[in-house]
Amino acid sequence: MLKFLLLAFRNVFRNRRRTVMTLLMVGGGVAGLLLVGGFFAFMFRGLRESTIRNGLGHIQIFNAEHFRRDEVHVLDAGISDWQRVAANVRSAEHVRGVAPRIEFYGMLSNGVKSSVFMGSAVDPEAERAMSFSPRLASGRDLAESASGEIEALVGTGVARSMSVKVGDGLTILAVTADGALNGIDVQVVGIVNTGFKDLDDRYLRITLPSAQRLLQSDRVTNLVVGLDKTENTDAVAAAFTPRLRGLSQEMTMKKWIDLAAYYKQVRTLFSGIFLFLGIIVFFMVLMASVNTLLMAMMERTREIGTMLAMGTPRPWIVALFMLEATITGILGAVVGLVGGNLIGVALNASGLHLPPPPGLSVEMAFRVLHVPALMIGASLMVVVSLALASILPAVRASRLQIAEALAHV
Amino acid sequence: MKRTDALVNVEEVSRRFALDHSAVTALDCLTLAIDRGEFLTISGPSGSGKSTLLNLIGCIDKPTNGRILIEGVDTSRLSASQTSALRREKIGFVFQTFNLIPVFTAAENVEYPLLVQGISNAERRRRVAEALENVGLSARANHRPDLLSGGERQRVAIARAIVHRPALILADEPTANLDTRNATQLIELMRDLNRTLGLTFVFSTHDQRLLEHTPRIVRLTDGRIESDTSTEIASHAQVFAASVS
Repeated sequence: MLKFLLLAFRNVFRNRRRTVMTLLMVGGGVAGLLLVGGFFAFMFRGLRESTIRNGLGHIQIFNAEHFRRDEVHVLDAGISDWQRVAANVRSAEHVRGVAPRIEFYGMLSNGVKSSVFMGSAVDPEAERAMSFSPRLASGRDLAESASGEIEALVGTGVARSMSVKVGDGLTILAVTADGALNGIDVQVVGIVNTGFKDLDDRYLRITLPSAQRLLQSDRVTNLVVGLDKTENTDAVAAAFTPRLRGLSQEMTMKKWIDLAAYYKQVRTLFSGIFLFLGIIVFFMVLMASVNTLLMAMMERTREIGTMLAMGTPRPWIVALFMLEATITGILGAVVGLVGGNLIGVALNASGLHLPPPPGLSVEMAFRVLHVPALMIGASLMVVVSLALASILPAVRASRLQIAEALAHV
Repeated sequence: MKRTDALVNVEEVSRRFALDHSAVTALDCLTLAIDRGEFLTISGPSGSGKSTLLNLIGCIDKPTNGRILIEGVDTSRLSASQTSALRREKIGFVFQTFNLIPVFTAAENVEYPLLVQGISNAERRRRVAEALENVGLSARANHRPDLLSGGERQRVAIARAIVHRPALILADEPTANLDTRNATQLIELMRDLNRTLGLTFVFSTHDQRLLEHTPRIVRLTDGRIESDTSTEIASHAQVFAASVS
């Protein structure tokens, strides 16, 4: 069998120019998939981490009632004994921190103009401990103000529409937990760019005590848990389950992937695009290889006739052609892996940036990740593609009429 | 005329090829017996059916009518895989254009029939060395065909044809692509192998140089036997066969 393998290997390099062209084509396909897939992987990872660090966290803990019914008043289905819940989960392995949050809505006014806002009340220290710092366009993050002023961060869209800058004051109005209307004055200490234009147009962030004062409640909407690594999410969620039992309220938790609707949409969209590209590359390699292998078969008609005349079993001829195609596929994959990774390294070193994609307001870095699963998948794909491409020429070769093949010029 | 002790019996064999609107009869009810140890030439003008007859004897084509027996086995009754096995074990081929595998060395080309037969590595090496020595090419064993002269290539082809000790060696115009010196050397080599190893050679040729060295000549014209010098050679072949057995 070693000799047979040797024959196949030498046949691959028989027509060097054609083999080089085939390897470049196959390698180009693999490299293309690695670069596109590597960029998509970078994009997914970046989007995942920015989604998490923009405040989603890795795991969020809620009062189970939160998902069973709509709240009549704000914090109706909030967590009351949240300090105890936070203490329970904070001691779990891989947990970097636990931050209470209140999500609320209301109106804000600059005295001339009013606008709706989506508010988020946070514990700035707890957020910072988990590196959940807001992306500031100007100003600074929230702090417990010594002067007693209530600090606020607003989105870039809010700042523009309300004509406010750092240091200006705003009035915010909201419905309390009892259903009454309440208002407080805040001082804008920073302007935030969340990366999402729609959110920037509505975004308001204040401290947790300020929100509890505004809403007249000591409850929180949820607890956001940050972990050391996103990969540990499932393990930590499993460890949380017993820690959330036996509390005064029934608790439930959501992993980041359950809450990251935008991330999932983007991933589904780009996975579809990548699959489409993969199919195109697959068929491109397949069709070009069928043509190349048919040419090789035609050129070797007399030789195949000779081998058959000498009693070579016909399945051996099929196996020989498939082996040659598989070797070509493997070599092409190696060319593609080396080429793709080198181009990837060069692109990463170039520091390229892409314009902001739709819905985002910041430029996106162009980086290519080296994903082992992608390398294996792309390599397997071209090897399978070439092996499939060889079936037709191989079967044709094995079915040659010996006398005709020997007379072939 | 069928002879039960003959190596090959061609019995009333016809071969017709269908063209678009007509048919060509390449062989017309031809009967021929070939004994073991013969050195037989099939000659005749182009289109007389020489190559067709060799193809039929070599089981790489099937007769339209009649049958061919090799060692008493009716080849028309064999399945494709049995025919393939028969060619593998009983027949060696030498082609006009040598038909060596270009990516193999001389030794690897000679080894190929043994490889197909599944013979062990050590035994293959021994037989290849022996076959190359028989054709005087031991020193060129590791050269690829493109580094060999025409005469050397044809000698490699002969080594390949004899390496598995087939009952019959078929050579289609083996000297057609060789100059006189190489052709003469090749003819002498084959004749020598015929005498020393008792191998049966059947050639198709119209090369006068080969015909001069051939004890039995079957002349074909329009798919029929025009003449057969078997009468003079028959006694020689029988004597040889008796001495081998």
